[in-house]
Amino acid sequence: MRAFLVIVALSFSMAIMISVPAGITANQEAAQSLTENFNSTITSMQQEINKSTTLIECQASPSQGIPSAMSSARRFEFGRTEVFINETVGDEIRTIEGVKDVVPFLQKSSEETTSETLNTPRGSFNISTPLYTITGVCLNTTFINNYSILPTNITGRNLCEGDSGVLLMSLSLAEYYNKGVGDTVNIYGEPFTVVGIYNSTDQGTTRARTVYMNITDAQTVTGQTGNVSRFDVYADNISYVEGIANVIKAAYPELYVTTYEDRLANLQNLQTTYTTTLNNAESTLSQTQNVATQEIIIAVAATSIIVFFVMLYTVRERTKEIGILKAIGFSGWNIMSQFMLEGILISLMAGAVGIAIGSVGAPFLSSLLLPHMSLFGSGGRFQFGSSSANPAVPELGSVAATPDPQIMLLALGGAMLLGALGSLYPAWRASRIRPAEAMRYE
Amino acid sequence: MSEAVLKTENLSKTYPMGKRKVPALSDLNLQVNKGEFVAVMGPSGSGKTTLLNVLGCLDKPTGGKMILDKVDVANLPEKQLYKIRRNKIGFIFQTFNLLPYLNAVENVELPMECTRKPRNERKQKARELLGLVGLAGREEHRPQRLSAGEQQRVAIARALANDPAIILADEPTGNLDTKNKFEIVKLLGTLNIERGTTIVMVTHDNQVASHAERVLFLNDGRITKEKQGLHLAKKKLQCPYCGSRIQPKDERCPSCRKKLVPAEEEESI
Repeated sequence: MRAFLVIVALSFSMAIMISVPAGITANQEAAQSLTENFNSTITSMQQEINKSTTLIECQASPSQGIPSAMSSARRFEFGRTEVFINETVGDEIRTIEGVKDVVPFLQKSSEETTSETLNTPRGSFNISTPLYTITGVCLNTTFINNYSILPTNITGRNLCEGDSGVLLMSLSLAEYYNKGVGDTVNIYGEPFTVVGIYNSTDQGTTRARTVYMNITDAQTVTGQTGNVSRFDVYADNISYVEGIANVIKAAYPELYVTTYEDRLANLQNLQTTYTTTLNNAESTLSQTQNVATQEIIIAVAATSIIVFFVMLYTVRERTKEIGILKAIGFSGWNIMSQFMLEGILISLMAGAVGIAIGSVGAPFLSSLLLPHMSLFGSGGRFQFGSSSANPAVPELGSVAATPDPQIMLLALGGAMLLGALGSLYPAWRASRIRPAEAMRYE
Repeated sequence: MSEAVLKTENLSKTYPMGKRKVPALSDLNLQVNKGEFVAVMGPSGSGKTTLLNVLGCLDKPTGGKMILDKVDVANLPEKQLYKIRRNKIGFIFQTFNLLPYLNAVENVELPMECTRKPRNERKQKARELLGLVGLAGREEHRPQRLSAGEQQRVAIARALANDPAIILADEPTGNLDTKNKFEIVKLLGTLNIERGTTIVMVTHDNQVASHAERVLFLNDGRITKEKQGLHLAKKKLQCPYCGSRIQPKDERCPSCRKKLVPAEEEESI
């Protein structure tokens, strides 16, 4: 019974000893993946910005609205007011000197929404966000060929001039709806045929949950006939950009105008935000590692103390038996090795049970014992370990602590060592007991 | 002249009690010859158990010499004493002191575990010894499933395991009823006669002591008197009712089944 209790107590210590490092490794991996995710986002945005030095983005905005680069990157923002502008404004902009092309877009949120759990330091909230964005694109062959207005890496075919009643859909959305090329989907109650599916993972974050269609179709189904939400204005060359931007800003204060320089500045802001986030993650990770180290030290100490006291108690309880063994010819070393072997065996059994518990319960134990990693400081939006039921919502990272076989073996070796160390003094004491005194002990 | 297995010269043992030293054994001179069956009697506190502990190398004397099987063991360090206990001494205790989690064979095997004897030989010898003490068929029983008499038989078999030079029995019948007491003493007597086992037995029971060849009386740590015993196992017994004189195989008269007593003309202690 005592051995059983010891095994239970020790096995939990062992489970902690293997779960906590597993949790740390998982958190490190998650932080690593987050860094990679951020870096790839920044790189792809940088590439996009560099590709369009002559581009002036004009976003319909209630006043000086949300910077477009920011709005693109932080797609999950909710409660954003969607503002539209008459498409004839585009014709007017085209008349400005130095303007090469004006490409209109209509972006409208879907009617369907998805519910997400938002974890904040003040508690968890359920929020509704649009499931996807409809992007109406002017399917002019020149625009398609010259500017990056449609996604690439398509299964099926891309949109082309003259298309109507058809759309392009991101892979995550296609999986969510379980649709393939040739299937029909309803957008705002109107049927559309899926002609192509683009792989959203390599298209940057802006295109992850978007359906693309002809702008006329988009205007019709969303009830925004004659309206657009954005113009991409292309200058003949970079020297015209600033002038054109100033003219547009002056003439159309309802448009939020960003040039290459603005986008670059926005990107730098975004990079700063990411860096802060990563620093937060790094500091939390280091804090977590400290906590883990403390927990492991406590577990090791507790294990040794448990073995020590149990063996000490065992020696005390079995004093008479030690006396008998000595009387019949057992040496001090025989007695000592027997008690040490018992301590080691109990610890080994506890180690095996602990590994079993740790293997099964590592995710639970590590999440219980390690502090959660908040990536955005106190107002943190994402947390490791949070998950979304919606497959269309990509996750930044989730912890799945799996103990390393090497750590398991190490824990078993550690258990053996702790058993030996914990029982060393009690066993030595047992070996030193004088037989005549021990025989009198009741 | 008989060969001495155990010899003490001015053996003494004192216990510290605060600043005082209380003597338990004082200048004790004793010789036990090979094949002898010696009983030590004395009142409580006379030093019987101390004597047995010192003779059995469980406790160290504070003075004097003690030669056991030609080795002076009085000043040997503990590192060597365990070998003496293992190879030269067999212990029988009043409370049997069997390990409850081992069965009879395993208990008898125990003293042989630290020797280099192979496991199967140890097991075979343990079974033989259990047969010798009349426990054939009870080898796999644990102590709690054996009667007190049977447990003491296992303890006797254990004491014989390493063929010791001497067996030291501390009140071996103290925890037994009359029937078992008689059987155990008879068994010790038989071992002494048939195997030539040297036995030193501490007891406060006259009847039990009467089975020995020689009875030593201990008082205040000194041997005060020595008498020849009946060594009843070697003597004829007489039925108190029908008067038959027999060399008994059990304690009852084969003709009238009455309990036997020593024959009248024999000297009694």
